[in-house]
Amino acid sequence: MKNNILVIGGGPAGLEASAVLSRMGYNVILAEKEKRLGGHLAKWDRLFPDQTPAKEVLDGLLDGIKDVKCFTETDVNSINLLDRSFNAMLSNGITILADAVLLASGFDMFKAEKKEEYGYGIYEGVMTNADMEQAFREGKTFSPAPKAIGFVHCVGSRDEKAGNPACSKVCCATAVKQAIEAKELYPDANVYCFYMDLRMFGRHYEDLYLRAQKSGIRFIRGRVSEVSETAEGRLLIKAEDTLSSRPVKVTLDRLVLMAGMRPSEAGHKVGRQLNLSVEEDGFFSARDGFLSLQKSKLPGLFYAGACTGPKTLPDTLHEARSAAMEIDRYIKENFRK
Amino acid sequence: MIHLLSAAVHQITPEGIIDRYPNSYNHFVLPFVIGITFILIYLLIGLIRILYHLSGEDRIKLLKSLFNPKTAWKNIKDIFCDCLLHTKIWKRKPLLGYMHSAIAFGWFLLIVVGHIEVWLFAPRHLSGLTEGSLYYPIFYRFFIWINPAHETLRGSLFFFIMDFLLLYVLSGIGLAMFKRVRSIALGMRHTTKPSLADRVALYCLWLIFPLRLLAEGFTADLSGGGFLTRPLNWVFRAFFGNELNFLPTWWAYSIVLGLFFAAMPFSRYMHILTEPLLILFRNAGLKVRHPRKGFAEAEIYACSSCGLCLDACPMNVQKKNLKYSSVYFMRFLRRHNNKKTREIADKCLMCGKCYALCPVGVNSPAIRRAIRETRNNKIDCDYSYLDSYAEKCSENPKSTGKILYFAGCMSHLTPRIIKSVETILKASGQDYEFMDRNEGICCGRPLMLAGRTDAARKTIEANSKIIKDSGCTTLLLSCPICLKVFKEEYALKGIQVIHYTQFVDKLIKEGKLKVSKSSSAIVYHDPCELGRGCGIYEEPRNVLKAVAELKKASKERDESICCGYSLGTLTLDEKDKAKIAESSVTSLMAENPEQIVTACPLCYRAIRSKAEVPVKDFAEIVCENLENNDKN
Amino acid sequence: MIDFGFGVSPSSRINLDKADKEKFNELAIAEPDVAKCMACGSCSASCTAAAFEDTSLRRAILSLQNGLCDDASKLLSHCMLCGKCTMVCPRGINTRHLILSIQKIYSL
Repeated sequence: MKNNILVIGGGPAGLEASAVLSRMGYNVILAEKEKRLGGHLAKWDRLFPDQTPAKEVLDGLLDGIKDVKCFTETDVNSINLLDRSFNAMLSNGITILADAVLLASGFDMFKAEKKEEYGYGIYEGVMTNADMEQAFREGKTFSPAPKAIGFVHCVGSRDEKAGNPACSKVCCATAVKQAIEAKELYPDANVYCFYMDLRMFGRHYEDLYLRAQKSGIRFIRGRVSEVSETAEGRLLIKAEDTLSSRPVKVTLDRLVLMAGMRPSEAGHKVGRQLNLSVEEDGFFSARDGFLSLQKSKLPGLFYAGACTGPKTLPDTLHEARSAAMEIDRYIKENFRK
Repeated sequence: MIHLLSAAVHQITPEGIIDRYPNSYNHFVLPFVIGITFILIYLLIGLIRILYHLSGEDRIKLLKSLFNPKTAWKNIKDIFCDCLLHTKIWKRKPLLGYMHSAIAFGWFLLIVVGHIEVWLFAPRHLSGLTEGSLYYPIFYRFFIWINPAHETLRGSLFFFIMDFLLLYVLSGIGLAMFKRVRSIALGMRHTTKPSLADRVALYCLWLIFPLRLLAEGFTADLSGGGFLTRPLNWVFRAFFGNELNFLPTWWAYSIVLGLFFAAMPFSRYMHILTEPLLILFRNAGLKVRHPRKGFAEAEIYACSSCGLCLDACPMNVQKKNLKYSSVYFMRFLRRHNNKKTREIADKCLMCGKCYALCPVGVNSPAIRRAIRETRNNKIDCDYSYLDSYAEKCSENPKSTGKILYFAGCMSHLTPRIIKSVETILKASGQDYEFMDRNEGICCGRPLMLAGRTDAARKTIEANSKIIKDSGCTTLLLSCPICLKVFKEEYALKGIQVIHYTQFVDKLIKEGKLKVSKSSSAIVYHDPCELGRGCGIYEEPRNVLKAVAELKKASKERDESICCGYSLGTLTLDEKDKAKIAESSVTSLMAENPEQIVTACPLCYRAIRSKAEVPVKDFAEIVCENLENNDKN
Repeated sequence: MIDFGFGVSPSSRINLDKADKEKFNELAIAEPDVAKCMACGSCSASCTAAAFEDTSLRRAILSLQNGLCDDASKLLSHCMLCGKCTMVCPRGINTRHLILSIQKIYSL
């Protein structure tokens, strides 16, 4: 008898875990709320640190789930724990009795319009990192070619006012990557990165930073505090260059906001039904921070990926694999004696 | 004793109408006399002290106002309405209003009618100024006995009136006792914790009128009485027999009166006597200059500790903050507890709701500001750059007759507001200049709120020069914080200072701006500085009714809940602010509107951070509903 | 070390051993938020007074930590307490009270 495993969320974590679990011989059912599988990865153009096309990675992930039952555009309407299995009702009318559930609900992008002073949704030239990737992916170029482009790190991250005091981990590298790509696309443009701290912690990240420096991107250590419009409709940015201790202003054509990671609303909806505990930052809390990272407080319910806090893509994939291992062990210990 | 007294009854007066106890003194009056003498002396000294601490200028102002027929009439009206009828409480909480007016107005009438009765019926030598005048009317029923056979129609009318008034007061006292047990029934969630003196005075106050009823009831067969006291007398006689020993009740009545007066200066009941003085001061246009002396002292003693400010204070959404309420602030001021008063003064949001809802009209935010002033005004500052900037601005070309738009510091963090205001200005074909498009000087209100008055004066001077030199005729503001200080502290002769809510209302009325009505349900949040601060409630509502379906908040207009991010507070922390913002949003969502609209950059940001529904600025929603969509 | 008294110019190096910790501790009690600054520069960037004169709360805090009290006072003497820095501070520092506290504690 094949055990049913329900995977909630069809992003990288959900896909990779489903692939591993189905290889192990489980009957995997994957529910994804969006039309397409792949989550944020499907909307991305290239990945840091080496600019691998996101499509390549996504295709690789999709290859592994041929035997997985995927329901797209499907929400989990209700879910509850019966005796030792989970009973889930999906929005497409299907009811699933699953012996284990993997919650891979990932993250939502921080809503950049909440940072009113950056003018997202007010000024045409202000966009987010996701908008920028979409433009890259669609091969859309701005015309006339922008003469100056700015990247603002930590939008909705490390910001108590925005309700998220934590670092979102991926924005620094993304900003540097996008800055390089923007510079490649518009070689005559002045490109600025406004950062608080550059957190280039991963392998090859520092190389990315060095490449950006060499390509002439200007790094300004200071957080942008105000954006206004000039008479010509360009963007006037105010920040402090904290290293030279002087307030600076600069006129830009494009301002890219590095929106951070917030817990997924859809994930919370599931979490509330199962009474899963979240930490102060809104992300789910694992059973402990070292040995049971993939386990929730509920037996049979596991986590993978950014639903337990911001993560890079490789981290997410690692978690997906280890979650699959944990689920396998759990099923063997509890259902196959 | 009884025999002695009854002997007196049989002496027939020359008039043959009133049977009188010839002596106008008995020992039991002593507690009362001591009490009232003490309070009168205390009052006289207090009055002299307060007047002494007023500045010379204020004293002259006060004197002039007393002889000005207009203010004199207002004084009488205010004292009557506020001190006796408590109309302010009536309007908000009728039952509570009845309670207060029953005790205050009822007692007042008892005293007045009592004196009239004495004046009409008692022989001059007993009630005159020489002897007994202090207590005679109070214990009239003890001293003047009327043989029922000799009772006139006029006399029975007074018996009826006096008993009726006593019943009126007693009903108030009854409610007051009930309030102690169940305050929410009278519309109060929180009530003040009484101090020791408050308790003594309170219980005395509760006892005064029941004891009066008892005493007059015991004497009613001899003195005569009305519908209340006479039946009571029958009951007593049914129980205790015909020979009633009524002296103990008169003693008790006198003792509680005396004790009440003795406790008065140390209790909240000092407000009964201080409030009229505060009204005179306020109507004379005096302002708080010192946080403890002069005018402030009158305010401090006028605080009735009623605790209406407890429910009013937006901080009290968390119970731990109850201690920062105005009522405790005034109590600590009275006790000269500087540490506490400083702490509370710095914590306050200065939203002004306690002042707006205070039945006495104690302006505690002004005292808080005065305390901050004593500590912060001496801080050194270097504002020489303001003058040179103002000088530089005056070289700009004159924009004679134009509108000058001053966005203010905060609006620069909400570009949506600036953009929308400019859209409106352009759509209505206005000729305008943007005073602080690139840089500008702060309006001075934040410095004022922090108690740095002298520093604020400097920014006010510099801005005044820039505005006057610009040649404009209208100064348009989008920030209520700026508006408040521009209206109160700037002297811009010939220049109209106007908030954008008023401006848009005017444009629509004049037909210069055409808006269409959408079906969206919205609610309007009154910013503190705009509503309570400047009294602007109607104009924004006029406009919003024209562009959408305007819903009501559970607390609005002068009861509107501060968004929590006011510049008024110095020490309130981020978490408390967030809690207040949440409670403000909850009130706004009472009728489930689809959008929230406000007209202040700070409120806008605060409410946006907490609301689940879209939050719009006033100008933004006007722009969205401009007819023919002429958005430049 | 023996000071021979004929050094050419005083060292420009900040001597942390000589930094006044007593007043800084007093400040930290009056406004504990002083410890929360991560030097992002938002306050100085949005500062109304900084458009005219050298004004920076970020640097003032650093100066105090380094014991350069006069520098700190100078950097805040142009402040108009408008509160923009409070609004933009990502750490939610109560900047206006911090400024007032610095001005009171370090006034000459």
